[in-house]
Amino acid sequence: MNKQNLLLIGGMAAAVCLTVGAMIASTAQGETPALVTGAEAPGFTGLTSTGETISLSDFAGQRVVLEWTNHDCPFVRKHYDGEHTNMQSQQLAANAEDIVWLTIISSAPGKQGHVTPDMANELTTSRGAAPDHVILDESGDIGRAYDAKTTPHMYIIEPDGTLAYQGAIDSIPSARTRDIPTALQYVNAALDSLAAGEEPEVDSSKAYGCSVKY
Amino acid sequence: MMRVLIMALMALCAALSARAEPYDGGHARVELISERQVALPGETLYLALDKTLDPDWHVYWRNAGDAGLPPEIFWEDDSPLGERTRDADFTWPLPKLLPVVEGEIMDYGYDDALTLPFQVTIPEDAVGSIRFQGVADYLICKDICIPETAPVSLTIFIGEAQEPNLAHAEKIAAALASAPVPFEGEAVAMLADEETLQLSLAPGEATRLDGQTLRFFPYENEIFHALAQSQSVGANGASLNLPKDPREPLGEALAGVIAATAPDGTRTGYIIRASITDAPLAGTYGTPFRGQSGAASRTSVNLLLLAGLALLGGLVLNLMPCVLPVLTIKAMGMVSAASKGEDAHLRAHGLWYTAGVLISFAALAAAFVALRSMGEFWALGSLLQYPIIVAVLAMGAFLLGLWLLGMFEAGGSLQNLGAASANRGGVIGAFATGALAATAGAPCVGPFVGASLGAVLERPAPEVFFIYLMLGLGQALPFLVLSFVPGLARHLPKPGAWMERVKQFFAFPMFLSAAALLFVLGDQAGTGAVAWLVMGAALVAFGIWALKTAGGRLKPIAMVAGALALIGGLSLPLSTARTLDPSETSSTAYAARYETEPWSPERVAELTAEGRGVFVDFTATWCMICQANKRTTLTKPDVLAAMEAANITFLVADFTNKDPVIAEELKQRGRPGVPMYLLYGPGQHEPALLPQTLSPALMKREIAAVRAD
Repeated sequence: MNKQNLLLIGGMAAAVCLTVGAMIASTAQGETPALVTGAEAPGFTGLTSTGETISLSDFAGQRVVLEWTNHDCPFVRKHYDGEHTNMQSQQLAANAEDIVWLTIISSAPGKQGHVTPDMANELTTSRGAAPDHVILDESGDIGRAYDAKTTPHMYIIEPDGTLAYQGAIDSIPSARTRDIPTALQYVNAALDSLAAGEEPEVDSSKAYGCSVKY
Repeated sequence: MMRVLIMALMALCAALSARAEPYDGGHARVELISERQVALPGETLYLALDKTLDPDWHVYWRNAGDAGLPPEIFWEDDSPLGERTRDADFTWPLPKLLPVVEGEIMDYGYDDALTLPFQVTIPEDAVGSIRFQGVADYLICKDICIPETAPVSLTIFIGEAQEPNLAHAEKIAAALASAPVPFEGEAVAMLADEETLQLSLAPGEATRLDGQTLRFFPYENEIFHALAQSQSVGANGASLNLPKDPREPLGEALAGVIAATAPDGTRTGYIIRASITDAPLAGTYGTPFRGQSGAASRTSVNLLLLAGLALLGGLVLNLMPCVLPVLTIKAMGMVSAASKGEDAHLRAHGLWYTAGVLISFAALAAAFVALRSMGEFWALGSLLQYPIIVAVLAMGAFLLGLWLLGMFEAGGSLQNLGAASANRGGVIGAFATGALAATAGAPCVGPFVGASLGAVLERPAPEVFFIYLMLGLGQALPFLVLSFVPGLARHLPKPGAWMERVKQFFAFPMFLSAAALLFVLGDQAGTGAVAWLVMGAALVAFGIWALKTAGGRLKPIAMVAGALALIGGLSLPLSTARTLDPSETSSTAYAARYETEPWSPERVAELTAEGRGVFVDFTATWCMICQANKRTTLTKPDVLAAMEAANITFLVADFTNKDPVIAEELKQRGRPGVPMYLLYGPGQHEPALLPQTLSPALMKREIAAVRAD
């Protein structure tokens, strides 16, 4: 076998590799799960700021609110800070009605909003917040299971485990505190409807805020 | 003199007072700008919110995507602009994709800078000056997000003559020019399956998207922003498979913007409003990309037909002016071999030649499939959309021509090629010739071949390979037959001096091919690039001559000069072909770009005396309404065709620079500024004064009206 034949065979081999590579590339395609209101909410297990391990299944039979948060995000601050303390009020109202409120932080270590358990507890105390648990989802697994895109991003799970609401906390996408009184509070409204045994008028909306810092 | 001085002072004052320093909102410098310093009462003009961002920070489009918020302006009480300016009030430049988390979170927006134009109408009763004051709210993000608030204000003087603010007008013009334009063809969207919303654009208007990569940016959130959009673009229009978000209901229409990216990176935006239907648009790529399996039987029938077409197309390729000369060389080799009765060699040659052709086509198919999987739509012919490739091919054709003429020897003479058939190296030669013939054919892909290539655009990879290989087989077939049918080769003429003459003759189709490519290059990169290429060709010819004839004492100098000329001649035109961008040509070359003539009162008189109609566009590059009208109406082929059909000549009065004759005409018609549109019916001496804002429908109506008179 001389040099020229080698070259030829090399060229052919390269062509074959290209072909096969291209064929593999053309068949590979990713899929993202879509979480539809009314479908079963994905189960999860997470570590809380007090060191407990909790699962969604622990709260079977109870209505659950999931709140994605990042305390440095201006949209989160809109609902925690200022005169309205909108988020805290909603948490307190939920407590009174025996609704489980889970605040979830999906910020990865080193990213904005990532906190240690102590910092998370300190934030709850200093802001007068009243979640039942704060879940530290460093890996982002819970966030991805729910397709949580922004902070805040809100979900309501029915006692039977189905998803009853997902989306924004209210109807005015802005970072301005002054918009809170005029906005329709989607989560509150949905919880009221559900308590009255009705379907929420708005069961899905586009969440607004900072992106979740996965 | 005194008057000039006073006017200059006034202009300076206006410039100073109208020019507020940009406000630093934290990560962006924000400013309210206007195309005018002095405006007329009742005039509609463009203001813009102008932002320069810190590096790596971005702001958002009207639909921010998965996270983020678009900018808006809140005006103080009693503003002529109402409470606020937001959303559809702005003309949004084409947004970019801002992936936050790959495949999961996608935002739409802008980095570097953003100029957001919006229209304002000066009140009829305005006197002195008018002040716009408010607060711009915008969210600006890097890895974290900050809502910033910037107070903005602007004073515009009210006067009797328009005074542009050239720097700001230019900025606003650039923003408007890069903004998406309405897509003029038919567009529909249908649910292809539960996960796929298929957006189809009818052929015709969509054909101009051929070879471009498309991305749909929705105004609402019907689709998953972060997922890929598979697509087919070609002779059957364009079709995008958009991943439907099941949480979002569909309205009556799918509205948004399509960004079309050409192979050279140029982006064009089209505003789409696709009504939701339950049947695909006739004549488009009706089947969704993912649903290929369902259409298997239909595919296989069509595949045989396509294979036949491809084979025929390959045969025809042999007659293309760029391939023919290459084949001639091959034919000469065969004549020599046949004359010596070397049948075995002849057969080996035929086989190796075929192998060369087929492997080249397989490589092309592989490249095509690979690019397709990356979302880049690309076919053989679309290579010619890159000016640099056109330039390389033109230069290559010229060099090949020189070689055929015998100006230089490369790879041995004809006789050597013939003789080479006797030794083992000959098979490599045959293989190389096959590869060369296939490559040379690439730019010549005719409509015939294009059809079969277009048809495989959305086929699965094995079918793409099959069709490409059939094409190659078609091209190799004549030689394959010649070398395997023993009797046939003996009918070939005897070798002799005529071979050299035939070879030289084929230099001329080669030069013609180069000339044809220059036409393409001229369209793409302007006459400058063509001139550079021709100059480069002359340099190359000189270099070859210098190297060939170098001798005596001057030999080193001649060699160096020749080599330099060769390098310069080859690299210079190619670098200009790459950097020249036709879209960079100034908009003052307005009249030249579509068939118009400069305006003069005399020319109007002359034309109307001949019984022709005249349309006059009084325009200026600093007049945004003028530019908007030009884009939406005055460059539309249907409007121009209607004018031509009505025997109307299009004249342009360019008021970009001060012109007393134009100023006089404007004054006479009671219009102190541009735009002004005059339409003279055939033979009429008094024109109709058209409104300041044009539309194709309005133009056609007006043209029909003067025609009927």
